[in-house]
Amino acid sequence: MLKPNPRELLKSSFKSIFKNKTRTLLTSLGIIIGVTSVILLISIGNGLKSFINDQFESLGSNFVIITAGKIFNEEGGFNNEGAYTTFSFNKKDVTTLKRKLKNINAVIPASQSTVKAKFQDTIKESMLIATTTDYAIYRKQKLKQGRWFNESEQKKESKVVVLGSKIAKNLFQNTYPINKKVSIGSANFKVVGVIEEVGGTLGGPSFDDYIYTPLETGFNFMENDGIQSIDIAVKNKEDIALIKKETEKILLDSYDEDKFSVFDQNKILSSINTILNTLTIALTGIAAISLVVGGIGIMNIMLVSVTERTREIGLRKAVGAYPRAILLQFLFEAVILSVFGGSIGILLGSIGTIALNNFFPAKVTIESILLAFGVCCAVGIIFGVAPARRASKLSPIDALRYE
Amino acid sequence: MPTLLQLKNVTKTYGSQDTKFDALKNINLKIDSGEFVSITGPSGSGKSTLMHIIGLLDNPTSGKVILENKNTSKLKENQLASLRNKSLGFVFQQFNLLSKTSSLDNTILPLLYSDIPQKEHKKLGIKMLDKVKIKNKASNTPAQLSGGEQQRVAIARALINNPKIILADEPTGNLDSKSGKNIIKLLKRLNKEGKTIILVTHDLSLAKLANRMITIKDGQIKC
Ligand SMILES: Nc1ncnc2c1ncn2[C@@H]1O[C@H](COP(=O)(O)OP(=O)(O)O)[C@@H](O)[C@H]1O
Ligand SMILES: [Mg+2]
Repeated sequence: MLKPNPRELLKSSFKSIFKNKTRTLLTSLGIIIGVTSVILLISIGNGLKSFINDQFESLGSNFVIITAGKIFNEEGGFNNEGAYTTFSFNKKDVTTLKRKLKNINAVIPASQSTVKAKFQDTIKESMLIATTTDYAIYRKQKLKQGRWFNESEQKKESKVVVLGSKIAKNLFQNTYPINKKVSIGSANFKVVGVIEEVGGTLGGPSFDDYIYTPLETGFNFMENDGIQSIDIAVKNKEDIALIKKETEKILLDSYDEDKFSVFDQNKILSSINTILNTLTIALTGIAAISLVVGGIGIMNIMLVSVTERTREIGLRKAVGAYPRAILLQFLFEAVILSVFGGSIGILLGSIGTIALNNFFPAKVTIESILLAFGVCCAVGIIFGVAPARRASKLSPIDALRYE
Repeated sequence: MPTLLQLKNVTKTYGSQDTKFDALKNINLKIDSGEFVSITGPSGSGKSTLMHIIGLLDNPTSGKVILENKNTSKLKENQLASLRNKSLGFVFQQFNLLSKTSSLDNTILPLLYSDIPQKEHKKLGIKMLDKVKIKNKASNTPAQLSGGEQQRVAIARALINNPKIILADEPTGNLDSKSGKNIIKLLKRLNKEGKTIILVTHDLSLAKLANRMITIKDGQIKC
């Protein structure tokens, strides 16, 4: 049986380590930095994921979406080339879909074009979305001021627009925008509403920068008279898969399979999640290298410590320590150093995450804390074994004679 | 008194082939329970080597060490460690106290490797410090103690497991003559209380205070 029992040995290791506080802190620094960055990166990755998921949820999730071009590749990621297709749908496709699909609420076409919008002397680039009144209903658009364009304006092809919150702010500053005229291309459009802020899409074009107009109005004044995307608002979530299949079948009657994509929100979501996961793992892996460096630092200091404490080791053996007790003592010291560094790292990472939260969605997960903790224990053991073995093999006589 | 310790034809050779050197040559020695034996001789004569072999810290090249009627030459490393822990107490010239560690914690170090339950450690430690008259410095670290005081703590540590034999290798070597005398007086007192003491010293006046004096020269016992 091992004497002392591991609990007492642990206590004794603790005492040894904290006799030299400065060294302990410096030795743990590598681990502290490594764990802090691992925790932060995982927090950021997770935060981004849940932010994006929330955004998708808030856009409404009962949709089958059709876009021109093949936008997904075979691995489930995005296909870059597909985004630059010149192909588009037409109004006949919309009516066919409306006629043939069952259990749907609406078929909502959208035609996009980049435009320059002007109010007085202010000119801003924007994306004009020509669509229908259903867009506001099923895409759950909340208006801050005014209203969405109505059925009669849609029928009469009136020159009315609804502005995203940011473009409205940029164009009008302090002027009240409702009923003011914005000139887009060659014509003037009356502003009937401003949408509430929906928040960033993280670098990409934001919905807050978009301008909405009735479909036909869009066709009348834009060079573009194609439909780039069609949203199908589905009655029940459970029908999504079936309706997706039917939609594909209907479109294949008119077009080749590589001209368009049919998907639901989950597909986009899982693509984004795949990308984010890969990114998080890659970045975390890089940060983990510093954990290895930290581990080497611990091994280095432990080797120095074994040499410095040769006499102590001899004494402990002389008064009855088994080689294994010495081994465990030094191994425990290495693990304590690394777990101590890890704990500080977890603390700093968590504080950092909370601070980051002011600018950016980020959240610490139990999994990342457990992972960091486990990795620290492993680093301590792996890099502690060599010094501990060296200590346990010293002969008491040589150790006591050591000057 | 029964024989506590016996050395039979003990030889210790250092080095190998052309660097071969016999530090101890055919030593035969018997020490009874309750004796106070001093080992003396010039520097380099093999006193420490003999002490290490008696203390089971080192193996003889040939010969036997019999402690409490047990032949120790056949014991494994862990068994030797247990025997050192239970039956032997060491006092060194350089004290060998752990730095930044209180007198009390230094005293109870051997208990860490013993079967004595932890809750009794502190009480026993205080008792031993009291025995060597340094209880009032229980919380001092070695740096806060004089040489003589440090050696007292080291003696308390040697006593803590209630061993049969105390082995002291030049315990006064790093002390002034007055504190040195006091340490020998303390050993004398412990001997009166029943401990077997083996004292190594090159100081003849101190060696004479023992009941029996063994002189060693060039690795051999002279008388
Ligand atoms: N590990 C060793 N290797 C080689 N020679 C040694 C070793 N230890 C001691 N010696 C030699 O053995 C002799 C006796 O040493 P030691 O027992 O320390 O003498 P003392 O304690 O009487 O001064 C000395 O000549 C010393 O140089
Ligand atoms: Mg010596």
